[in-house]
Amino acid sequence: MRHYFQTELTALEQELIRMGALVEDQLRRAVRALMEQNAPLARQIIADDDRADRMEMDIERRCLSLLALQQPLAGDLRAVSTALKIITDLERMADHATDIAKITLRLKADPFVKPLVDIPEMARLATSMVRLALNAYVHRNIEEADTMIRLDDDVDHLYAAIFRELLTLMHDRPDTVAQATHLLFVANYIERVADHATNIGEWVIYMVTGERKDLND
Amino acid sequence: MSQPPAIRVADLSVWYGAQRALTGITLDVPAGQVLALIGASGCGKSTVLRALNRMIDRVPNVRWQGSAMVGDTDVLGPAVDVVALRRRVGMVFQQPNPFPFSVFDNVAYGPRLHGIKHPARLRKTVEDSLKQAALWDEVRGKLRRPARALSGGQQQRLCIARALAVKPQVLLMDEPTAALDPLSTAKIEELVRELKGRYTMVVVTHNLQQAARISDWTAFLEAGRLIESGQTGTIFTTPRDARTENYITGRYE
Repeated sequence: MRHYFQTELTALEQELIRMGALVEDQLRRAVRALMEQNAPLARQIIADDDRADRMEMDIERRCLSLLALQQPLAGDLRAVSTALKIITDLERMADHATDIAKITLRLKADPFVKPLVDIPEMARLATSMVRLALNAYVHRNIEEADTMIRLDDDVDHLYAAIFRELLTLMHDRPDTVAQATHLLFVANYIERVADHATNIGEWVIYMVTGERKDLND
Repeated sequence: MSQPPAIRVADLSVWYGAQRALTGITLDVPAGQVLALIGASGCGKSTVLRALNRMIDRVPNVRWQGSAMVGDTDVLGPAVDVVALRRRVGMVFQQPNPFPFSVFDNVAYGPRLHGIKHPARLRKTVEDSLKQAALWDEVRGKLRRPARALSGGQQQRLCIARALAVKPQVLLMDEPTAALDPLSTAKIEELVRELKGRYTMVVVTHNLQQAARISDWTAFLEAGRLIESGQTGTIFTTPRDARTENYITGRYE
């Protein structure tokens, strides 16, 4: 048994979970700040993005040192390379939380042109996908892959609905164009988050089975 | 387009007295490619190697069943001329074992044995073999010096040159770098890559990273049985059998 490697791998996985929890939290807070039009919270989210960046670098360093010093093979190699891929997706998600926070600041305190219903619902689905993907990673369990696909479809449908709705609104009321465009961006960022979660799911499938599968098909 | 495999082991079982060393091994190696045999000590990988050039003959009470084709000859057949076979199937060992002769005479030994007497032809063969073994530049001025004055890594490449001098089809290597430092090891590995295409090679190694670096195919043996074989990239990233996975990830009991 390679106890040292196993211990290091477990520590790496725990770091990854911590990063995942942070990213989930950033996303939740970003959508909350938008809904509440809470500028201080939005600024805090932007400031906290550094933490995600630092965690990404730390995990990357751990992965590279395991590859160089332990030369993992087979399932171990797939676990380490999967971690390397996952942190890139997580970091992008954190960036999208920041993007949403920046939009919140730009929207200032102008009243919303319409009540936001689908955007928080989309965000709820996307963050639950992140949670699902990371749980699958930790437990090396891919049984929830179908749930991921279903959730991603739901996110895509909501995005399409939001897109149509905002387009109609802009057409009918040109004074809403500036804000509606920003909200469209928000919806797009959340849709991207769901795609990144799907990527993580695909990497977990690779880690467990050795096969690359496209969950977006 | 596709050539027949250079080596084709079919349902090979070997017994040393009452002890069974191999059970039903079936393995192909395509011409010009490298097969790595991996597995714990005593798993039978060296027996496979030694069957291919009939070195197992030296073990008292050895018996075997099945066949091992090299080209179109069953090397385990009763009519095989073992001396002629060993010319076609060269072998390199863990400890470099140059003869107590000069560098030149080591490489010329095989060709002389096989009847090459003409000095110019011998010189040409020796030079070509040393060049193929990536040793020529280091020994061109020292051909008359004793082979044992060379460094360990140079001695090992000399042994490879000696094997190549009789123009074999197959080169067997039993832990060829186990006694060498990392730099000499890297040279031997580079050499294996260069010799690919011209020779079919079977390498026994305990160094899994080495197997991964130099081979096209990998076969994992356990207790005399072939557990899994396949393309090296597949075996080292996604082995199918849990026993292979456990062995190469160091979780072997």
